[in-house]
Amino acid sequence: MQAALAPPSSRGIQRILSPRRVGLTIGACALMGLIVSPLWVIPAIEVMARAMMVGLVALVVFGVFERWPKSLPDWLARWALQVVAVVCAIPLAVLFLYLAISVGDELPFWKSEGRVTGFFTLSVTGVALASWMAMSALLRQRDEAARNLALAFELERSELERKALDARLRLLQAQVEPHFLFNTLANVRELVDSGSPQASKVLDTLITYLRAAVPRLQDPSTTLGQELQLVRAYLELMQLRMDDRLQFAIDADAAAEPMRCPPTTLLTLVENAIRHGIDPSEEGGRIDVVVRLREGRVHAEVSDTGVGLRGQINGLGTGLSSLRERLQLAFGAVADLRLVSREPHGTRAVVEFPADAVKA
Amino acid sequence: MTRASPTALVADDEPLLRGTLTRLLGAAWPELEIVAEARNGREAVEMFEARKPDVCFLDVHMPGLTGVDAARKIGRGAHLVFVTAFDQYAVQAFEHGALDYLVKPVEAKRLDETVARLKERLHAAVPASDLGALLEQIAARLKPEPSRAPLRWIHASVGQELRLIPVDEIDFLRSDEKYTLVAWRDAGRPSEALIRTPLKDLTDQLDPEQFVQVHRAVLVNRRAISHLTRGANETAHIHLKDRADVLPVSRSYLHLFRQM
Repeated sequence: MQAALAPPSSRGIQRILSPRRVGLTIGACALMGLIVSPLWVIPAIEVMARAMMVGLVALVVFGVFERWPKSLPDWLARWALQVVAVVCAIPLAVLFLYLAISVGDELPFWKSEGRVTGFFTLSVTGVALASWMAMSALLRQRDEAARNLALAFELERSELERKALDARLRLLQAQVEPHFLFNTLANVRELVDSGSPQASKVLDTLITYLRAAVPRLQDPSTTLGQELQLVRAYLELMQLRMDDRLQFAIDADAAAEPMRCPPTTLLTLVENAIRHGIDPSEEGGRIDVVVRLREGRVHAEVSDTGVGLRGQINGLGTGLSSLRERLQLAFGAVADLRLVSREPHGTRAVVEFPADAVKA
Repeated sequence: MTRASPTALVADDEPLLRGTLTRLLGAAWPELEIVAEARNGREAVEMFEARKPDVCFLDVHMPGLTGVDAARKIGRGAHLVFVTAFDQYAVQAFEHGALDYLVKPVEAKRLDETVARLKERLHAAVPASDLGALLEQIAARLKPEPSRAPLRWIHASVGQELRLIPVDEIDFLRSDEKYTLVAWRDAGRPSEALIRTPLKDLTDQLDPEQFVQVHRAVLVNRRAISHLTRGANETAHIHLKDRADVLPVSRSYLHLFRQM
């Protein structure tokens, strides 16, 4: 976050002349100066000082062309520009150095044999050393950038993995609410105790529901057909319990059934319609589930005629938010979940995602 | 005042479960006369007023008025027994307050114990205890807590529709004179909606990790920020990803963006 907001750095000088760079430059120049100093008559320390000055100029040039100009034409690589600039800068820097130290001499320095030898020696060794150093600095930078990029990718990947795991765990926790299970079992027991012929059929429905709803971690993707079966079992059980307070209808394109569907997508919408639409209403209402295949996309709609969205934002959040997250993990930005109020009361939830047949 | 036989009301929104309790009570307490069966809290209160039963069996989870709400209205008019399927809060609270309760599916042995206690109280003509304060606490506990968790959805009219906008999809919120502008992404497309809720009411409900206030009138989703440019006089402007809008940052909020 902070990085994204950081204003363009105003500390260019600090980067160009970082202690590390300056140290390396001075060290290398001192060493070079010491090696070539026998060619001079002056003390070695003075040769080293001259080499260091030239080296620092080269460093500044290297740093300046690292950022300036801001954009380069396609045919010119920045590393080439930097190396060429450094190579050109060295003889110029040596020239100025010699002009400066020759002030007060009887002859201009190009007429003094010693000075000319010194000028050429310093220039040639300087160009060789500086271009080598510039190239290795650039290589190092490239490696570092590549490593940073790799680390950033790695971080992003682990972040995604963590999110997927979280979503899976939440899915695991969300399934088969104890309140629902115990209430349904109480109903089943009543049917059994009162000798109702319905009992065994309702038990079958409960088994169908549980089989589909119990988490299958190894099988993160179900088909719409399986999902519809789960939804039908759930609605049948709820209708048994709520009696005349609940009517429902399921209308699905047969062609949509083999399509991939993240587990409990439809169930979450239907549970939501019951919990926040039908159940709080004394009169109850009606739930319609419609699944269509349109232009390569699955379009699933769960509408209810319950109490509606108004005035109950909270609590509504958790199930739907985690569904939104699961859809995003499964399909990315191409999945869509929308909630809309219906007139005179009720809610319509719409999910859309790409149709993708599960291979048999 | 004593009656020939004790009377009871059974309230549950699930018809089969009303049947279960009635049947089980018939076996455990044959003299008890079930004078009313209610389908929700409101009916329970009405029927109680009409029939004045000695005992009320109230399902906790019912549409409209819950069993606990109904119990508060019935007050000391009857002995109360709560019935619940699975609700840790409720069970804990009943246990703690020494209230009578049954857990669904109701077990015969447990019902026998409850019946014995009720018979004893009716026989000794012990008045129903005053549970007002306790029930109020439980009722408050059972209500979904409105403000604890950060807001996840915002209601807004979009065209003809009333939509629920996920807060994750909101880029920024800006208060205009009468309304709050919600700039969000409808399936990825930048969209805008107006809501009546004042910005300052939303500020407290949104996750501060996600939304930062950058100006008296502007809340912005950190995710939506592209970059910041500095303006004159210690101000700045926020530029957003894929949006032309530029948001002001006032001086008092600028510290949020200083580099760490």
